Amino acid sequence: MSLVSVILVATAEEPHRDDNGQIVTHHWLLPEQSEVIYGTIASLAIFYLLYRFAGPPIKKALVARTARIQAELDASAGALADAEAEAAEIRQAKGDIEEERLRLLAAADAEAEALLTDGRARLEVEIAELEARAAADLEAAAGRSGDELRSEMIRTAGASLEEVVADTLDDATQQELIESFIQRVGAST
Amino acid sequence: MSDEGRIDGYARALFEVARAEGTLDEVEDELFRFARTYESSDTLRDALTDEMVPAAMRQKVVEDLLGGGNATPTTVQLVSMVVGSGRGRDLPAIIDSLVQRASSSKNLELAEVRSAVPLTDDQQDRLKAALANATGKQVNLKVVVDPSVLGGIVATVGDTVIDGSVRTRVDQLKSRL
Repeated sequence: MSLVSVILVATAEEPHRDDNGQIVTHHWLLPEQSEVIYGTIASLAIFYLLYRFAGPPIKKALVARTARIQAELDASAGALADAEAEAAEIRQAKGDIEEERLRLLAAADAEAEALLTDGRARLEVEIAELEARAAADLEAAAGRSGDELRSEMIRTAGASLEEVVADTLDDATQQELIESFIQRVGAST
Repeated sequence: MSDEGRIDGYARALFEVARAEGTLDEVEDELFRFARTYESSDTLRDALTDEMVPAAMRQKVVEDLLGGGNATPTTVQLVSMVVGSGRGRDLPAIIDSLVQRASSSKNLELAEVRSAVPLTDDQQDRLKAALANATGKQVNLKVVVDPSVLGGIVATVGDTVIDGSVRTRVDQLKSRL
């Protein structure tokens, strides 16, 4: 027996009142038979109408949704490809930057070394010039000191000579010098 | 009038006054010594030539210096007159001109003798004779005591200089050094 048949048989009994006047249905769960029939027809009609009128738009919407999702998936795939390409470019650029950094560091090292070498050479030349100049200055200063010392010695000797001579010229010597002068002048013609 | 003419004018006036008073020899000698003192003393020179000092004050200095028997009244008056007239700066030149004029009037050649110590009269006489013998001229001897000579004598007769000073020998020795 099919389920429909079972339901129809089960619902064939009409509701009635018991001895106490209470309404008694044929089953505690299943509706009345007519209600089942009309309900089934109404449901089929609704299903048909849904299929007939709501099905295409729903199908169309589902197709559109599928297309949209596919487009989004395609866009995501493109974005992923772009991102991977960009990442590759970044990795490339990073490699280039590292290479450039190394190149710059090498160039800086080379320039620093050249500057150091040049500076050392220039310093050595300047040191040599300064040493030569200092030696010349020392020699000149020594010469000047010698000249000044000789001049000072002569000046001191002259002053001392004058003092010594003045001290030795007593009255007797003065008179002797005067007499000597008179005699010398008198003897000359 | 030039300075030289003015100096000669003063010298001639002083000479005439001294000769008129018959004290030419003494006045000449005193003036000569005063001129040498004036030249060697900055203080005296400043005192007698300072225009800010009144003439009377300068003349008072002369009288204090030469008065009191240090010089004849004629010498004092003559020097005072020159200083009072504001010609103190020309005093040595005026006196030298006067002495030259006096020597010429006596047919004598002026002989300036510089010595470190004073000469005795006997030494002056013998030196005068010696200089006359050496130059062939009679000389009017003027002795200047000059300590810078150190020793010996330097005699100047006209353009002739007879140098027997220790100063010159010391200077020569310094030059050799």
